[in-house]
Amino acid sequence: MRSLTVALPSGRLLEDAVRLLRAAGYRGPDGRDRSLVWQWGELTVIVAKPVDLLTYVERGAADCGVVGKDVLLEQAHEVYELVDLGFGRCRGVVALPADRRHLWEDPRRHLRVATKYPRVAERFFWERGRPVEIVELYGSVELAPRVGLSDGILDLVMTGATLRANGLVEVAEVFRSTARLVVNPVSLRARGEAVRELVSRLTRVVEGVP
Amino acid sequence: MTRTWGRGKVGFVRRSLLYRGKEVKSKAAPPWQRLPAGLRDWTPEELAALRAVEGCLRRTFEAWGYREVATPALEYLETWTRGIGSRPAAALFVVVDRTGELLALRPEMTVPVARFVATRWPDTVARLYYVGSVFRGELGRGNSREFPQAGVERVGDGGADADAEVVALAVDALRQAAVPGVRVGLGHAGFLRALLDASGLEEDRQVAQEALYRRDFVTLSSLLDGAPAPVRGALLDLPSLRGPGALQRARGLGVGKEALDELEAVLEAVQGYAVADAVEVDLGIIRDFDYYTGMVLEAYAPGSGAPLLGGGRYDQLLERFGAPRPAVGFAVHLERVLATSQRGGVLAPVLEVGYERPARAQALAWVLRARAAGLRVAATPTQEGRLQPGLSFRADGVWWVERDGSRRPLAPQDLDALLEGRTP
Repeated sequence: MRSLTVALPSGRLLEDAVRLLRAAGYRGPDGRDRSLVWQWGELTVIVAKPVDLLTYVERGAADCGVVGKDVLLEQAHEVYELVDLGFGRCRGVVALPADRRHLWEDPRRHLRVATKYPRVAERFFWERGRPVEIVELYGSVELAPRVGLSDGILDLVMTGATLRANGLVEVAEVFRSTARLVVNPVSLRARGEAVRELVSRLTRVVEGVP
Repeated sequence: MTRTWGRGKVGFVRRSLLYRGKEVKSKAAPPWQRLPAGLRDWTPEELAALRAVEGCLRRTFEAWGYREVATPALEYLETWTRGIGSRPAAALFVVVDRTGELLALRPEMTVPVARFVATRWPDTVARLYYVGSVFRGELGRGNSREFPQAGVERVGDGGADADAEVVALAVDALRQAAVPGVRVGLGHAGFLRALLDASGLEEDRQVAQEALYRRDFVTLSSLLDGAPAPVRGALLDLPSLRGPGALQRARGLGVGKEALDELEAVLEAVQGYAVADAVEVDLGIIRDFDYYTGMVLEAYAPGSGAPLLGGGRYDQLLERFGAPRPAVGFAVHLERVLATSQRGGVLAPVLEVGYERPARAQALAWVLRARAAGLRVAATPTQEGRLQPGLSFRADGVWWVERDGSRRPLAPQDLDALLEGRTP
């Protein structure tokens, strides 16, 4: 029987995800040789782009995955979201330049908002009945209002330092995010024992049970 | 290129596609050379494989006494919101009729069949099946917006025997389609509702149910802090409430007795079919259409990361269309079956017949006889002196031409042999 495959997201969550697996008692190489597939005893660990992660898990190429709640909110998916892993804590907020924050006070005002989360943004503004034009970007979203590409942004904040450095102030919180353990629905059944073992070991670490 | 992105209110939400601050001037091929995202063509080879799988399902459904029914791809938007509820409305492909009526492409087949039976079917009992494409407006990461389905609906009987028949038919159909290692899980929508009822949630109950439908156990867990410990434990550990002993453990909760009794009766009734080894209790099955009222089922096979089919009992759906009747059914995701099936369709060979002008009458007369005898024959005029593989009617006689260009003359009795399906 093939080993359980766990997909980890490259980027900001990777280090914490590796640390969590180690704390849960899994051991193996962590890709200093830049390989993207690591054999960790009974686990096969693969490293994928965060935006692709749900694709791997949903199609069963990986049985489980670690992914930010922000990605789960943005992408439609059919995976099981089983554990809040607690790390990667951040918030999705709408932010405007400090000297233009008054634009937010008028709910009829048409806003241009730059974001990596077009679906989340669409839903957020739609539910509040606020007219909006969503500018879809893939990175450095905070740049957009500075160069007149948009009035504001909807983006992740961790410490708020990036917002401050770019003269932006938060006007609304859209969501809170942490890393989550997700599982393919068929793996949950066909490989239930192995998945349960992983879930309970991770849960013990997350909840601080020795 | 600024697109209008309205849902209902046109122009309310707009999106620009920008890259590095510039509007994207699309370098892609013009639209007529490609297809909208999530839609595909089927080549003859691909279609042969699909039709082979489809044929297995059709024959099985027919053998179980089901009749085929077809409904239109488009129906009034109101039919869908009435049948499915408004929750998945965002995922509909909506079309505005010439008269301003809102129509939508079918996102599933159970609602139209229920609508058909409730409004058009004279008998109280019906065994119906369908084969057709369903459409979703939003791109999931399945990346398809149109996918072929086949399924059955058994209307008019509310008992465990009807459920068992549908479960056994699901197993039989997938086995006939040469899917190895079929497993069917049986859950119960009423059991999930009973658990939610017992959780003590009031205003958050709907939120909890939505979280459950989304399989978001993290949100569910945060909502259930005040719930009785056994109920909370069962809800959060739903995915493991399966296999032998699951019914017993579920009974221990003292919740949803009626649902568990029903499920037990179905399991007992299934024993009569030769499929019991493929069936197991799986109380963690969560179907995302909320019209299900009773038993729900999903089928899996090794090598498929998603269920091959899903369905269940929906005893209140027909009532929404004015004819209260119990019903149960399932829908098969044909592309997923195709990916796991060991059957594989092959294109039937076609006999190529070439003819030179002087031999045309003779060639076409023979071709007519060959088709009447059941052969697949394509007849093509050839330039004089040119040889194409297959049968060649020329001014100088009839020839059999091999792929390598070698040829030999055919006598009338050889042509007769061809008619009987033998190679001369």
